[in-house]
Amino acid sequence: MSTEVDVDVPMQDAEQSDLDLELELEDELMKPGSSGIADHKSAEPVKLTTTSIGQLDAWIEKLVKCEVLSEDEVARLCKMAVDVLQFEENVQPVNVPVTICGDVHGQFHDLIELFKIGGPCPDTNYLFMGDYVDRGYYSVETVSYLVAMKVRYPSRITILRGNHESRQITQVYGFYDECLRKYGSASVWKMFTDLFDYFPITALVDNQIFCLHGGLSPMIETVDQVRDLNRIQEVPHEGPMCDLLWSDPDDRGGWGISPRGAGFTFGQDISEQFNHTNNLSLIARAHQLVMEGFSWSHQQNVITIFSAPNYCYRCGNQAAIMEVDENHNRQLLQYDPSIRPGEPTVTRKTPDYFL
Amino acid sequence: MANNEENRDIRSRQGINTIIVNSARNMHMKTVNARIPQKSTPQPLSQQQNPQWNNFMVNRGTQNTSTIHQRFKSPLAPRTQSTRHVCNNPNNPPCAHCGTTIIPSPKAFMPLEDNPEIIINNWKISTKKKPILNSVELEDWENNKLKGLALPEMIFGNNAITIQNIEKDWTLQFNTLDALKMVKLEDSGIRVSYSNKWLDAKKNNATKNSNQKSDIDESSLKIVHNYDWTYTTEYKGTIKQNSKDSVEYNFQRDDEVQLPIDKLSRSDKILFFDDMILFEDELADNGISVLNCKIRVMDERLLLLSRFFLRVDDVLIRVIDTRIYVEFDENIIIREFKKYEDQYSSVLSRHRLSHSYDPKAALRDSNWVVANSPLVTRECEILKF
Ligand SMILES: [Mn+2]
Repeated sequence: MSTEVDVDVPMQDAEQSDLDLELELEDELMKPGSSGIADHKSAEPVKLTTTSIGQLDAWIEKLVKCEVLSEDEVARLCKMAVDVLQFEENVQPVNVPVTICGDVHGQFHDLIELFKIGGPCPDTNYLFMGDYVDRGYYSVETVSYLVAMKVRYPSRITILRGNHESRQITQVYGFYDECLRKYGSASVWKMFTDLFDYFPITALVDNQIFCLHGGLSPMIETVDQVRDLNRIQEVPHEGPMCDLLWSDPDDRGGWGISPRGAGFTFGQDISEQFNHTNNLSLIARAHQLVMEGFSWSHQQNVITIFSAPNYCYRCGNQAAIMEVDENHNRQLLQYDPSIRPGEPTVTRKTPDYFL
Repeated sequence: MANNEENRDIRSRQGINTIIVNSARNMHMKTVNARIPQKSTPQPLSQQQNPQWNNFMVNRGTQNTSTIHQRFKSPLAPRTQSTRHVCNNPNNPPCAHCGTTIIPSPKAFMPLEDNPEIIINNWKISTKKKPILNSVELEDWENNKLKGLALPEMIFGNNAITIQNIEKDWTLQFNTLDALKMVKLEDSGIRVSYSNKWLDAKKNNATKNSNQKSDIDESSLKIVHNYDWTYTTEYKGTIKQNSKDSVEYNFQRDDEVQLPIDKLSRSDKILFFDDMILFEDELADNGISVLNCKIRVMDERLLLLSRFFLRVDDVLIRVIDTRIYVEFDENIIIREFKKYEDQYSSVLSRHRLSHSYDPKAALRDSNWVVANSPLVTRECEILKF
């Protein structure tokens, strides 16, 4: 039977006789910094040379064709990226005009479609609000491409951290498997997850739009309190950094706790208070699937943007991105999944003799 | 979930434009067309097309359509095999190269809806597939149809599998709404693995700050809205009849009855197959809850499997299977209900013994989980016309 419930990235099970090794490996995997990409951090932001620009352009050219970089190239890219991202702030300032995007989740072809719809980078400035990996089949290509663009055009593209940019989550939802399958070892996964620790967690667009992956935290009343956090770590299971990457807006007022027993929801009163205190016009966040690609909540105090069309290749949802121009006019662009000639557009299933 | 009616108004008031980029749909039609075998001579169209089929046709070349129609739809077309069944499955044509039926599952593109059916004797089997609910539909489900339930993330609310006996006016349907109606509106008692740690940290924090101004006090640490967030449903299908005057037929409980595995294990040609998700939720990245339904129809019988699969990472695994078996000539229907459940760690430990290198992959595979979890309940029912 070939029932694929929870189809993340289908892969063949490889035999491995040494169970102890597997257990050891698991502990080893969780150790931050073990990839060595941040062992020789530079004291100031990386300055691009003609050579490094040429190198980056070559990688981007390769990646845009949906071809993966070699392990060695990923290592070099991640090292450069550490020296860009470590100097960014917890609340990274971003200027208008900018196009704000939500979850991508390894849907590489849809990301390329996004750039077609929103305009090519670096001519258009982009702000991504996390969740580049897991679920889709091209997490490696997606995150490699976005990181390469970030290093090549650091002031043109901002990449925030989502709750999937974490060691623990990626082991369950596909990125880890995909790295093993595409590289034969976990080293590329280690490099990227070590790099994720350096991603900024929020951004502030022209002091007016507060952008982050999840939502607000009861421990954060002001934007300045976000600046005080130590973000260079694995996404913790609780605390303000966890909340910023995980929480959801809700119709109920005040702070709520999910019946799952962890995770906050915040009501309209909370969003209004936060926007008022911090003199903001909007909280832009991602993290939740919405059929139309975007969804307003809390009387326009909060917008959810989701940029993975036909999520998991089966939801049939549209995607959206939000353009904010020089005059703070906002425009939402809604789009469908990309179509690749010669490739199936839908998950194909052939009849099986299930019992 | 946001109130959408309101949102739309505000949106237009504030003048935020939404642009819909539509070209992908046309591209999709081309791709679908490309899969369909080409024939040179167009045939005249028959009258009896269903509305979907008409919609589908509008978007593609007429020449193509008539060809497919002739090949896949018309029951009048000469057939080499037995004509015992009538097939209306235009969107799932055989692959031009290998002849295998291709089932786009579920339909990925918004304007498309698939509604194939097959008729054998007095039995009509049909399926319906559409994308997840849009925000207008969602709002209706949330405020009216399923009041009190925080809805799962992905609701394929228009999907359904229907098995109908035309003569007896007896219908058994598996649909999303009825499945979700069986989700309990009370605390399941299940918590995610790190819940205690999370709640303790909040409590400590609240105590620490009790003298100062704090956004969060003890009272807000209670879960306000209780519903079964695992979306566990013991849904066994919905029995319907079109006319009130029809005789009511009900299943008789008989746990001795077994499904005829020998008959089902034969490689009889599958005439109709579909596989769909009714709802799915990723439990905020703490596992998965999914209700999947699939059906295969052979010349003499059919089998439907409705499977609820729940994995709460590091906590528990639960599978609830309902199987429907129909023997067409004898007009026998068997409904078997099985429930499996175990601790996550116990299931995982069985995997360790199987020496495979990615333990999490096995825990994503509901078939492996079923084979490695204890059966806690089995019930069987039978109905014969
Ligand atoms: Mn997320």
